[in-house]
Amino acid sequence: MAALAGLAHPASAPPPQRIVSLAPSVTETLFALGFGNRLVGVTTYCDYPVEAQKLPKIGGFMSPSLEVIVAKQPDLVIGVSSATDPVKAREMQRLGLKVTLISLVSINDILSSIKTVARLLGNPEAGEKLVRKITGQFDEVKKRIAPAPRRSTLLAVGVRPLVAVGGKNFIDELITLAGGENIAGNAAQPWLNLPDEYVVAKAPQVIIEAGMESERSETAKHWADLRSIPAVKERRVYSSPSDKILRPGPRIGEGLEDIARLVHPECFAESKRRNNQGSGCEGSRP
Amino acid sequence: MILVNGVLLALLALSVIGCALLGPVRLDLWQAWQNLSSANPDAEIFFRARLPRVLLGVAIGGGMAACGVVLQALLGNPLACPQMLGVSGGASLGGILGLIFFPNWLLPIAGGLFGEISWVPLAAFLGALCSMTLVYRFSLFHGRLHPYHLLLSGVIFNSFIAAVIMFLNSIVDFYQAQGLLFWLMGSLSTRAYLTVAFIWAYIIFGFLWLWAKGLSLNLITLGEEAAMQLGVETGALQRQVFVASSLMIGAMVSVSGMIGFIGLMVPHVMRLIVGSDHRLLLPASFLAGGIFLCWADTLARILLAPAELPVGIITAFLGGPFFLFLLYREGRRKLAL
Repeated sequence: MAALAGLAHPASAPPPQRIVSLAPSVTETLFALGFGNRLVGVTTYCDYPVEAQKLPKIGGFMSPSLEVIVAKQPDLVIGVSSATDPVKAREMQRLGLKVTLISLVSINDILSSIKTVARLLGNPEAGEKLVRKITGQFDEVKKRIAPAPRRSTLLAVGVRPLVAVGGKNFIDELITLAGGENIAGNAAQPWLNLPDEYVVAKAPQVIIEAGMESERSETAKHWADLRSIPAVKERRVYSSPSDKILRPGPRIGEGLEDIARLVHPECFAESKRRNNQGSGCEGSRP
Repeated sequence: MILVNGVLLALLALSVIGCALLGPVRLDLWQAWQNLSSANPDAEIFFRARLPRVLLGVAIGGGMAACGVVLQALLGNPLACPQMLGVSGGASLGGILGLIFFPNWLLPIAGGLFGEISWVPLAAFLGALCSMTLVYRFSLFHGRLHPYHLLLSGVIFNSFIAAVIMFLNSIVDFYQAQGLLFWLMGSLSTRAYLTVAFIWAYIIFGFLWLWAKGLSLNLITLGEEAAMQLGVETGALQRQVFVASSLMIGAMVSVSGMIGFIGLMVPHVMRLIVGSDHRLLLPASFLAGGIFLCWADTLARILLAPAELPVGIITAFLGGPFFLFLLYREGRRKLAL
């Protein structure tokens, strides 16, 4: 947690009322905590919830405009430590703005950043409550998939080139929580360009394409000629464009369920209609 | 000197086999040959994931080097390379527009009989053709193609296109921008033999066309006037070489993006080895370029495994220092054109 200025915040000072968010996930967190009305500026990528789309824009995710931010006269600017330009962050501080950078690398980071933001805004209970809601969603999924065997999984954004989720990425953790095993989870990079032969050799049982541009037909076609991959053979190639999965924000609980439904659809089927056969959820219970 | 080309050809054959056997994952070749029809991971790794890409690498590397040779002769400039002609910029822009607006379009070949190919390479090729026509128009005065104008308009056109691409890159969404960047950096990743065959057809045709002009290219390096006095139709030669190399470059960039350094470096290295006779230099550069890119791509697949590096990084890493070393060793002796 890299809170540059947050720790020195005296308890007596009034909580910030004019906030600029430098990332879509931060915007989502503020709305989820009930502080959406305090936002005076968001990035052009902040599209959720719909109210965020109507807020004034301060530029792109990687290229926020310093002068537009300053003109908003915010009493708090919240960015992400891996994405926000540190030079710009320092510049903003020199101009007298209070800047907090949160780290969103792991699920733990995401949950504790929610608490940090809630604390900064003077309502720690809202943070605790939101985190409880998300961990509750996690537990629900965990319970569902508990009896199912782990399925090796490839989660990618885009097939040309094939950019896959690697290690040190909260999505890698989500895959594990969803009962999958990321075939690129041992990679040092959070995102990496995988060669086709690696996917064939790792033989994933599930392939999920989560990029916002993806279309089911194209994803399936892309893999169709590699029939030795179990996911292709067993028709477990899915296209699921989803910000819930890709954004390190308060919707990761829903994102986890999205992944789990694709990795273990049998665990989410109506129990009445199912009979225990194949690799069914209960069917594989020892 | 026929010997040099023979040796290079043998090396190329060995490189193709070697590179197809090397990769980030272990391959059991015996297993690959068993059971070719059904789903066999080893066969898929060898025949689908590796072989097409190695063959594509040979074609692109060879084509880039051959284009570099003729452009350096045509423009009388040792810095000339395929990336300078404006065609590569046009192809990139076409490809980027294709990626942004029709990322999921697939073109059925002969009514779907031969499967489908992505629309993106075609968009890139159209971009290459448009930019070729533009640059050509701007460099043509009184029916003659001026090397300086060609060079300048190519460079300026490319910088302009680069700005357009950066603009597009900054307005598309975050994940899409990442995809565009990867595409721009270039990759030989393909599983489509159809694409490989298409590129080989282009490269072979273009190469033979250029090779047939070998003698005239020798003469034009003596200077335009001297060449004219020796009976070379310089105007026609310049136009033909420009069109032939532009078509080749357009086709190459459209499938593999911008893979730099080969077209600049390989011709100079081969000139040091075989001399400046284009009848020998062209095939030698083609073979050497093929060998070089073949190995560069294998390194790109292996070095950071499982992650794949953009192959352009490898060609620059290997090519840059080696080229500087050659320059240093040659001392004041000018690299002869």
